[in-house]
Order: sequence, then structure tokens, then C-alpha cells
Amino acid sequence: MNRTQNTLGLVLATASLVSLPVLARAADYHHVHVTSSNASEAVKWYARYLDCQPLADRDDGVDCAGAQVVFDSRPTLGTSQRTGIDHISFSYADLTTKMAELESVGVRGSGVRLQRFADGSTLRDVPGLFKYGFIFDPWGTRIEMVEDADTLGFHHIHLSATDPAATLTWYQEMFGGESARLRDRLDGLRLGDIWLLAMSAEGTPAATAGRAIDHIAFSVDNLDSAAARMRRDGVAFLEEPATPEGGRTSAKRAFIRGPDNVSLAVVEAGFAGVVTEMAAAVDITTDLQPYTVPRTPWGTPDFQGVWTGDAAHGIPLQRPDDLADVGVLTPEQAAARRERGTLGSIWGYESEWRDTTLGYVKSAPSRQVAMVIDPPDGRIPPMTARGQELRAAARAARRPLAEGPEDLSSWVRCITRSLVQTPGVYNNGFQIVQGPGHVAMQVEMLHETRVIPTDPRPHLGPDITSWRGDARGRWEGDTLVVDITNFNGRAPYQGSSDTLTMTERYTRTGPDTLEYRFTIDDPTVWTGPWTGMFTYVRGETQYELVEYACHEGNYGMTNILSGARAREAEAGR
Amino acid sequence: MNDRLRRVLVAVAALFAVVSLAVSPVAAQTAAVSRAFDGHPDLNGVWQAIGTAHWDIQDHPASAGPADTGAIGAIPPGQGVVVGNEIPYQPQALEQKQQNFENRWTDDPEIKCFMPGVPRATYLPYPFRIIQGDKKIMMVYGFAEANRTIHMDKENPEQAPIDTWMGRSHGQWDGDTLVVDVHGFNGQAWFDRAGNHASYALVVRERYTPMGPNAIMYEATMEDPNTFTAPWTIRLPLYRRLEENAQVLEFKCVEYSEDLLYGHLRREPTR
Repeated sequence: MNRTQNTLGLVLATASLVSLPVLARAADYHHVHVTSSNASEAVKWYARYLDCQPLADRDDGVDCAGAQVVFDSRPTLGTSQRTGIDHISFSYADLTTKMAELESVGVRGSGVRLQRFADGSTLRDVPGLFKYGFIFDPWGTRIEMVEDADTLGFHHIHLSATDPAATLTWYQEMFGGESARLRDRLDGLRLGDIWLLAMSAEGTPAATAGRAIDHIAFSVDNLDSAAARMRRDGVAFLEEPATPEGGRTSAKRAFIRGPDNVSLAVVEAGFAGVVTEMAAAVDITTDLQPYTVPRTPWGTPDFQGVWTGDAAHGIPLQRPDDLADVGVLTPEQAAARRERGTLGSIWGYESEWRDTTLGYVKSAPSRQVAMVIDPPDGRIPPMTARGQELRAAARAARRPLAEGPEDLSSWVRCITRSLVQTPGVYNNGFQIVQGPGHVAMQVEMLHETRVIPTDPRPHLGPDITSWRGDARGRWEGDTLVVDITNFNGRAPYQGSSDTLTMTERYTRTGPDTLEYRFTIDDPTVWTGPWTGMFTYVRGETQYELVEYACHEGNYGMTNILSGARAREAEAGR
Repeated sequence: MNDRLRRVLVAVAALFAVVSLAVSPVAAQTAAVSRAFDGHPDLNGVWQAIGTAHWDIQDHPASAGPADTGAIGAIPPGQGVVVGNEIPYQPQALEQKQQNFENRWTDDPEIKCFMPGVPRATYLPYPFRIIQGDKKIMMVYGFAEANRTIHMDKENPEQAPIDTWMGRSHGQWDGDTLVVDVHGFNGQAWFDRAGNHASYALVVRERYTPMGPNAIMYEATMEDPNTFTAPWTIRLPLYRRLEENAQVLEFKCVEYSEDLLYGHLRREPTR
């Protein structure tokens, strides 16, 4: 086996659909492959906080002082800590300043989480070694920060091993490298400029597959001959050498099992070719085939089942200016947009909250450019003068600190989510149950259920208004058309008022797709009606709706109000 | 009316009561039951209980309601719906019931607009709709956005994925009776405004037996070894709402509970 030309790749899986950074030294072309939920966000994160440079030739990796880290967008099963690849490490000349800088970032959104030692500090200084501390990236990769002037930038990969000496010997036999002691204290292997360290695990380290650091990748010149040699040495193959179909790269590769269930990729040189195809999934934007809508035993179109809006998460309501002439996004653009949506709308949520992060989202992201399809330019018609007045008044009425529950949105109050179930980071489920003459529609979030009569009957009298209005359905061919009136105007959608009339149209466009169109017609607010659209996909095999007891568990309300009172007390008001 | 006539009428009424109790769980009037496309009874429609079980599922005399609500707030007397009237509480659980009763104007999940659980949802003083098709059956209640999906198409009993207010419901037909097994409760729901309660170990078997096109005899048997010494049963009829435009209206009660729950956290406290 050609040992000196190996490429080392470390795959880090972060907490959701994440690409891992690939670390590669320019000289020896070692790289690390990290799984994060969102390659483009991960690129930004590693550039912003660890001073890496986005790669010029691909959009899913960074170069960290000569070491390449490439991110792979896919689901992960959680942090790298306590797996066989516990962490990776970066070195700074002045670590005290660097850690203070990172601490000031905070953990909100795609922030930085610092791991504290038992005494509350974030830094340790071991005389004769160096200062060190630990942080986590937003996707669960544990990162050791060290102050080692000998090697700045990417520093080492830390293997957690049941037998560290045997582990290092195994890696050296397989991939080469030079035995060495870091600062004369820590046994390791020198792979180009990168240290591979192995230390005793506390207990049995967990398998790396699916975790934030999913695997390390080594490159070889000839995969077949390398694999033959490994087989002779009794190495277990997790995946036989092959060029993956629908994978992200065109490189021929194999996966083997290292000591302590560490996954290792062995990649034939020429790794860089990124394949743009997405894994096979329902592409709800373009894959429309002729379809005969199934019927219920009583003859109406059958929409029953659990659907989800996951594919539509991230579609903006209105067409962005820079996409004025775009028909549909590319799959890559769509994937990146959904991940941006995930990351942009999470407030301070940890990745454990996000359905994409947790791997629950199975559908390919919609390539639809914007929800608004009418007017055709994708923009909501101008507001009337009265509409602008109402919007200005609503804005003026907002208070920075909630004086009571009424100052918070109907969503925060667990009253109702929205008139349009715009998909979000989690709980986009939507269940339909039908009986003769009625369609029941339950949205997962807030467990709101509307029962829509489909037999002809007049609307309620005008004095019976309500948050979600009075719905009346009818079948037009294969489409369920729902007219909604009698809104109380207290849960406005995009500024709508109590004169709103809403029309919904539900159509099954394929075995796994349910198209949803909503027309907003409120002459008080807009100069014309407008229509939005997105598509639900069938989600029955993924999960069923579980009771979303929002109000019953609304500790957030108590915390928001008591927080507001505390701030007032601080300010002496 | 002379005494003799009165005695006769009372005797006749008593006879009817005995007879109706004896036959009610049985599908004595099968011929009159509405049928769905698949031959099962058709339970689609808006239904509602009549009575005072929502105040107290056991026999209770009239009593005063909350202060300053006059006769409107008074609690009417009522005949219980518990078969035999007694609930076989374990001693500690009976104490808990009494505590619940004393604190009912703040602790009752209903006053907080929390989901009522099963069987309480059935006899709240609000209508509910049954949607019965060929797959699931849904029951959508007129209070606190409560609803439940009755799985007619799953292994029974499939483990509840998580404890919930409304539990997990599995249904099957036993002749003309819809039998629903419910488990996976979170143990926080009450049975009524009198503080009757159970734990998360509660298992409920409901029986919906049509008594004709416009009435259902409803039975629910409760088992919970943490709370009761023996299973016990409630029985009451549900009536079809016959108004032509009968509809379960949206009643989002959250905002009416907010003062109770958060009034002390307002800038100008109301509690």
C-alpha cells in the first residue's frame, strides 16, 4: 500500500442533516469529513469562528490553515463526544482571547457552545503541555481548543480507544504516518501536519456511524489493491469498494471498520468531483405524472392519511427579487434554502428540536421559488390605504415587554397558529380523516382540528365570528374547495382583517403529494386577491400525529411574563 | 291528581326505568339504527350528553356555585351516571378526590381550558362530532380543541408513543357496538368538576351502542390499580343534535383561562 500518498478525511456528523468538514492538508492532502446538517451554514460557522477559508472549488468545505474540512449534509444521531472519534482540535496562539471571543457569541441560533469544567471555567492550563478547552459546533461536533504555538490552525484528531497503543499501531499499519509524542507527553501518529492522538476511553466508546463525526477518510491511489491488502489483514468492510450512486462525489470509495467501531472511508484519489444529484426522493416540484385520485367508498376523492409540509419548509411567501426569472430552484439551491430556513427560524433552539436535524424529514425540499403564484410575479398586491393604516396601528401597539398575555401572538398563547400552516422547523404534520359529508383536518401544531362540511349548507350567521372562521367545502372534480368566512380578525395572516374571505383548494397530484392553494381576498387590506401554493407530502410511514398539548404545557408564557416583570423591576418601573 | 293515580304513575315510571336499564346496553332496536356504507352503525353526526355529569358523575344535591354568580352559577342537583353510584377509591385516592373538590375553582383542568381526557370529554356540556369513514374515526369535541383519532386499523393495543391528556384510542366493532380501548393517559385529567380523578395507569373501555338513529348508549369502564380497588362503569345516553344546521362551533377557551393562570404576572396584576 502506498502509505505516503494517503489522504486522511474525517467525517463529522453534526446533529442534523449536516455535511462534515473534510480536513485536508494541502501538502499531503489529508482531509477530514464532518457531517453537519447544513453544509453552507457549517462553512460559514467554521469560517467565522475557527478562521477557516471557504474552499474555492466546492461550496461544502473549508480550508483551515492547510487542512481541509468538508461538510456532508445528512442526518446525524448526535454529538461526537464519547464516540470513537471524540473530537477534533484547533490551535490558537492566544487561546484566552479566542475563548473570550467565542463565549461572547452565545449559543443562540448557530452560535457557539462552550463546555465548562467542573469549576465553571472554560480553560485549563496543563504545565508542560498547553492550555485547552472545549466547544461544540451547532451540529454536535466537539472541538478541543488548544494553545500550541508549534502547530496553529487544525491541530489533531482525538480517538477515544479501549487500547490506545494498539489503535495507533493499527492506523499506522493501515495508513502510514509517523509515530511521535506530542510535547513529549501524548502518544500519537503524525499524518502530514495533523496529529492523530489516541487516549483511553471512559467506558466503551460509541460507534461513530451517524454521529457528528461520522468517519475519517483516507485517500489511496488505488482502492482495489488497498482493499485487497486490508482484506488479507482481516479488516471488516462496512461498504465494499464502489462508486456510490446518487452520492455527493464521483470518487470510488469503501468503508471499513476501525478499532472501537470507528467508521473509516478509504477513497481513491480524485475525490473532489461533487455529484449534484439528490438522493432519490419525491421531487414535488416537477415529478408530476398522470394520476387517478383514489375514491372513498362513498365516492368522493380520498385524501385520508397523514401528510407533512416538510418539503415546503423554507419557501418564501413572495418571490425574491434576485429570482425574478427563475422557474424552479436547482436541487442544491432548494436543499440549501431549507437548511437556511431551519437555521434562520430556530431562535435559540438546539439542534435536537429540529425535525431535519433529527432525520425525521424524508422528503426532498421543494424547488418552488415562492408560495405566491398569483399575481404571476409572485408578489402580494399593494395594500390599500386602510390596510397600511391598520398595519401601522398594529405595529405601534406592540410593546417591547408584554404587559399581559394579550401582548403576545395567538401562537405563543397557544390559541391558534395561523390561517395558513406555513411549514416550520418541526411538527408539520397534517392528518385528514373523512366521513360521508365531512372532512376533518387536523394540524399537528396546537392540535387544531377543523371539521369541514361538504354537503351544501349556508354559512353561519354573521354574528358568529371566530379565530379560524367558518369553513364550507364542496367537491369540484378531484379538488376539495373550501370557502372560509366569519373571521374575527384577531389572528391576522399577513395583515388580514375581519373582512377576509379565504378560499382553499386541496388536490391530490400524485400518490404522495397533496397540493394546497389558498386565496386571500380582503378588500379592506389589499387592492386585489392573491393566491399562494405549497405541496404536502405523504408522511404516514414517518410518524403519526401525537397530541400537541400546547396550552396545557405553556411554561413559556409564565417565563415570558415573569421575565418581563423582572426587567421592569430592574429598570425601576 | 289523587294519591292513587300518583302512585300508579310512579310505579309505571319505575317499571320503565328498570326495563330500560335492563335492555339499554343491548341492541334491542337494531332495525332503527342508521347504517354506514359498510353495514356498521353510522355514528356520523353531532352528539351531546344531557344532564349534570359534568358537575359530578355521582349523585349530588343542589349547591352554591362561585360567589357573586347568583342562581346562574348554582350547581343543579343530579342523578349520577356511575353504575351503583360508588367509585371504589383506594383510601389515599379518596383523600386526593376530596382535596381536588376543595380546590376545584383553581385546580380543575377544565377551568384552565386544558383538554378534558376520556371519558370526561364525552359528557362536557358541549356538542361533539363523530367523523366515521372507512379508515379512522375522529371525535372532535367542542371544548379546548380536544379531539382524538380512534385507530380502527392498527394492532390493538398498540403502545402509546407518549402519555397524553386524551390517551391513545383503538376501536373495533362488537356487533353494533363500537368498542374503544383507551390508554396512555398522563394522569392529570379529572372526571368531573367534583374532583374525581385517576392516574396515568388508567385504562378505559368505552362502548358506543346505538339505541336507534338519534341516541347512543355510552358506557365507559375504568380500571386503574393505582387509584381504584376494582373496575367501575359509567353509563349515560348521548343524543343526536337534530337541528338542521347543527355544528360544533370553534370555542377556543384559552383566553378565558389566562387571568386565572397568568393574572399574577400581568403588569397590573389581576390576581
